[in-house]
Amino acid sequence: MNAPRPLNLVAELTYRCPLQCPYCSNPLQLGAVREALDADDWARVFREAAALGVVHVGLTGGEPSARSDLPEIVAGAEAAGLYSHLVTAAVPLDPDGLAVLAERGLCSVQISLQDADAEHSDRIAGTRSFDRKQVLAAATKKLGLPLTLNVVLHRHNLDRTREIIRLARALDADRLELANAQYQGWALLNRAALLPTRSQLDHAAGVVREECAESDRPEILFVLPDYFRDRPKPCMAGWAQQHIVVAPNGLALPCHGAAELPGLEFWNVQEHALAECWSDSPGMNAYRGEDWMPEPCRSCDARKQDFGGCRCQAFALTGDASATDPACGLSPHHAAIEEAVAAPKEDVFRFRFPGNAAD
Amino acid sequence: MSAGLEARLRGILAERYHDRHPFNLRLHGGDCEPDEVRRWVRNRYYYQTRIPIKDGVILTKSEDRAFRRGWIRRIHDHDGDDRNQGGLELWLQLAVACGLDRDETASLRQVLPGVRRACDSYVTFVESHDLLESVASSLTELAAGAYLGHRAEAFRKYYDWIAEDGLDYFLSRTHQAPRDAEEGLAFVLEHADTTEREERCVAALEKKCSILWQLLDGVEWGGRRPQLANGVRLRTGDEPMVVSPERAIRIGGSGASILEACDGSRCVDEVAVSVREAFPDAPNGLESDVYAFIEEMERAHVLELPE
Repeated sequence: MNAPRPLNLVAELTYRCPLQCPYCSNPLQLGAVREALDADDWARVFREAAALGVVHVGLTGGEPSARSDLPEIVAGAEAAGLYSHLVTAAVPLDPDGLAVLAERGLCSVQISLQDADAEHSDRIAGTRSFDRKQVLAAATKKLGLPLTLNVVLHRHNLDRTREIIRLARALDADRLELANAQYQGWALLNRAALLPTRSQLDHAAGVVREECAESDRPEILFVLPDYFRDRPKPCMAGWAQQHIVVAPNGLALPCHGAAELPGLEFWNVQEHALAECWSDSPGMNAYRGEDWMPEPCRSCDARKQDFGGCRCQAFALTGDASATDPACGLSPHHAAIEEAVAAPKEDVFRFRFPGNAAD
Repeated sequence: MSAGLEARLRGILAERYHDRHPFNLRLHGGDCEPDEVRRWVRNRYYYQTRIPIKDGVILTKSEDRAFRRGWIRRIHDHDGDDRNQGGLELWLQLAVACGLDRDETASLRQVLPGVRRACDSYVTFVESHDLLESVASSLTELAAGAYLGHRAEAFRKYYDWIAEDGLDYFLSRTHQAPRDAEEGLAFVLEHADTTEREERCVAALEKKCSILWQLLDGVEWGGRRPQLANGVRLRTGDEPMVVSPERAIRIGGSGASILEACDGSRCVDEVAVSVREAFPDAPNGLESDVYAFIEEMERAHVLELPE
């Protein structure tokens, strides 16, 4: 198979995390995934990724700073010539630890925030962490590294979008990702508690427009969630097109959730070169390109923009990973989305921690 | 028609004429380095070249032989004729007196993009507006006569490294500008005979003031020192690109050399000069390409140009 050039590597260094956010993108079977790669293994993966054409590496998890060898891993990315981006919850990482990472070549930092204030943020995180996030944000700026703040939006914080933007401005963030929750994995489990109303989203979108008109800092990313758009998201810019995810156990995947799809064989970077995992593994090729597409995708002009949407969402909501993403108004399963949006809301979360996991 | 209009026009000049622009305050206060004076002279020459073209457009708008006979004198004032060498020539004389190369200045190749846009927008304005508005836009001359007198004094006082004959342009305009201004003002006051026409004259003069202001902004930009923005990395080699969080932009090899020169130690002008030194035989458009690339990279937040 003639595989496209990947540009981004998502290095999931661990699934351990002191936070318990109920919309975590990690798989539900957390405990079943062993951390199999040491810093030298990651350095090799980074070199192979760079040789494939990868430019960015996101060091993520779980919480990447839960690994004590994170400085060596960062150094490996730097040696490979990759632009390294740390995705952290600011626990347990502290400013001294961050300074060490910067010294080893870390290029940029993304800190998650759960809400605009400590009370609400810590409630969602399930851990006292809000104050540490402010401290680490300031340390990031002091080190001269670009700062991105990422806030997953849902019914319980969307009404504080303005406060979130103001907070990001006060922290002098360069970018603010207002990421509406994507209802997969843990977020699907908690969907009834997370799904916002249409009017909440419209109001938040208006707030974003107003705040962007007021100042061009931070740069704000806000995309309406697929549940409310009638068209699917261009998930990962297409299956195995630009992004490679390497899970803590070494599996090379096209996205964070693909390992949970049944019947797909992905290869492990411990047994294969990354280039082989990318271009030749059956799982990577299962939905690459357009050949797998059913109708209505196959003959739809929008397939060039949305690539048929999200395979994991298709599987979760229809039982068939090759179905058209139900988020699309043209999907025969679209009612599943409409019913979820219309369904009564709950207020009880199932937080992400091993005791709640599916294994 | 109304004394009120003249007062409004003079009020606009009192508030918005470019004598209040930070660059001009520094220029007249003796605070400019020689390179800054040269940058201004080199760039402002482009404005000088637009004036006779703009006046040519204005000529085409009038059916009145007497008006055209009067107005065509402005073109002779700048382009020269049998009796005088003209303002453009005097400006090149100023350029040489500042130590600039005459041909280089006349080639316009080092004209900065913001300056070019401002000057071009003056011609475009005149092309797309009627005779009355076009004449009204020329009324910055009401302020120019006295101002150029001050400028000649300031140059003598603070920039004595510029030879005296460099000041001939300013001195010639101290006579021409008031005459042009009085004629223009009389025309405007006679023909702005409705409220709607008055308003259009006011808007035209405001527009002209903003053009002169933008011209100086464009000059100042050339003195700023571009550097890679926070967190941006330049990758050279087989596939040059600039990389920042969530973004990678492929650039050509020449783009990479420009960005390498943007190390915070050189101003925009000097970056262009360094590229010109590397490619001495490149066509005239080289500098414009360098400026356009720097502007593009600034818009893309790849470069920052601290003031």
